[in-house]
Amino acid sequence: MRAGYRSVSVTALRALIAGAAGLLAPAPAWSEAAAPTPAGTPIVNTAALGFDLNGATQSTVSNTVTIIVAERLDVSLVRTGQGAVVVTPQPKAVPFTLTNRDNGNESFAIAASVSAGVFGVQALVIDADGDGLYDPAKDLPPADGRTPVLSPGQSIKLLAILVRTDSSGGAATATLTVTAQSTTGSGQPGSSYAGLGDGGGDAVVGPTGAIASVVVPITTGIAGPSLFKSQSVLAADGSQNAVRDAVITYTLEARFTDAVTGARIVDPIPQGTVFVPGSLTLDGTPLTDAGDGDAGAFDRNASAPGAAGGGIAVALGQVAAAAVHTVQFKTKIQ
Amino acid sequence: MITRPMIAAVLMATTASVSAAAGPLQVTSSILVESRSAAADGTTRITLVKPGKVTPGDKVIFVLAYRNTGKQPLANVVLANPLPAAISYRSANPGSPAPDVSVDGTTYGALDALRVRSLDGSTRAASPNDVTSVRWRIANPIPAGSQGQFAFQAVLK
Repeated sequence: MRAGYRSVSVTALRALIAGAAGLLAPAPAWSEAAAPTPAGTPIVNTAALGFDLNGATQSTVSNTVTIIVAERLDVSLVRTGQGAVVVTPQPKAVPFTLTNRDNGNESFAIAASVSAGVFGVQALVIDADGDGLYDPAKDLPPADGRTPVLSPGQSIKLLAILVRTDSSGGAATATLTVTAQSTTGSGQPGSSYAGLGDGGGDAVVGPTGAIASVVVPITTGIAGPSLFKSQSVLAADGSQNAVRDAVITYTLEARFTDAVTGARIVDPIPQGTVFVPGSLTLDGTPLTDAGDGDAGAFDRNASAPGAAGGGIAVALGQVAAAAVHTVQFKTKIQ
Repeated sequence: MITRPMIAAVLMATTASVSAAAGPLQVTSSILVESRSAAADGTTRITLVKPGKVTPGDKVIFVLAYRNTGKQPLANVVLANPLPAAISYRSANPGSPAPDVSVDGTTYGALDALRVRSLDGSTRAASPNDVTSVRWRIANPIPAGSQGQFAFQAVLK
């Protein structure tokens, strides 16, 4: 029997605010029901007039004014499925859906990486038949790491093929990051690329920044405790945009294979955010912020690299084998 | 030799009755966007400028500037602006009288007085997205040389 006294820490999983938006499927700023007006479309306006002159009714029209719709660069990338992915030496496919949120035709540069050396990305391929299963004969990496040109609203399925690359047999966790970005350009919303839009007009970076990333927890799943951190953002306008005063809900899911004692979860409050008082919960039960009788506390003086705003700590104590405990807390973006 | 210029003059007069350029009521339509800048007193100043790049979701301001260039007052003036298909109505622009709106191009009124009929025959309250046309009626005759403008906010679909 394993004499357990383990400490689980997520200090290494600090999420900067910059990453907060990237972890999420971007919230579209337009109606899903109606396709955005295609780039290059002329908007033509003429008013009609009527008036009486000397008792006779006359009608005429105004001048005609025309503006051309520019290309808005936007993309979304969503993982199909939830939870941590168990990766073994056998290739494991993790499915994603990439959607062209542009109002023009666009190709996207795609890339995948893992955070720890015991895992490797064997390939990032286009799932030709969209079945979510890896068929090495048909599901191929796109040329130059770029998708084919997608029409507005068009989606394609991607598969990140992961393998475990070490043979130690020890337990390990890491994250897989898959990124897609418009080849025309990306970056700060509103940035423009003169003459690069469809039809020779300008292209403008849309609210998604024309870049999307998804982070997926991965594990060897063999033994030992593991901790997965995820987050969701809710802004005052109901969107998922990581803007000032938006509330980030962090979820820390601790999974244990064996019974342990003294398990403890600590997490610093990310820079640029403040802890929302009274938001700490363990398995859905509220915990007071004070270091008192219950299992958790918020310590505003807790110091950790890069965390000026204190941190939360939850003592799980004795944990049964095969247990799962979930800690949640909220912070507000400043 | 005399008839030709006379025919030309008649044609010009006919054209004038349907052309904006020659009529006594001139209306200039423009599509503008808001430009925000910090004023010296710390407030934000909003000015309307010609759009650089307009993309779906952007707010645009439709401005109708009118002027009576004739020598007599014009009565019962009506300005109607059918919306381009890719444009969703939002509201009157601040400072402009609210237009009557229509969801069918026939019946005009205040938005909250209009209803939209669904395919199954039921009706629901109209929303700004349902508006297909806006219209202003100018109650008093426009004196010669007088001018004014109307404006409404919209969003590019």
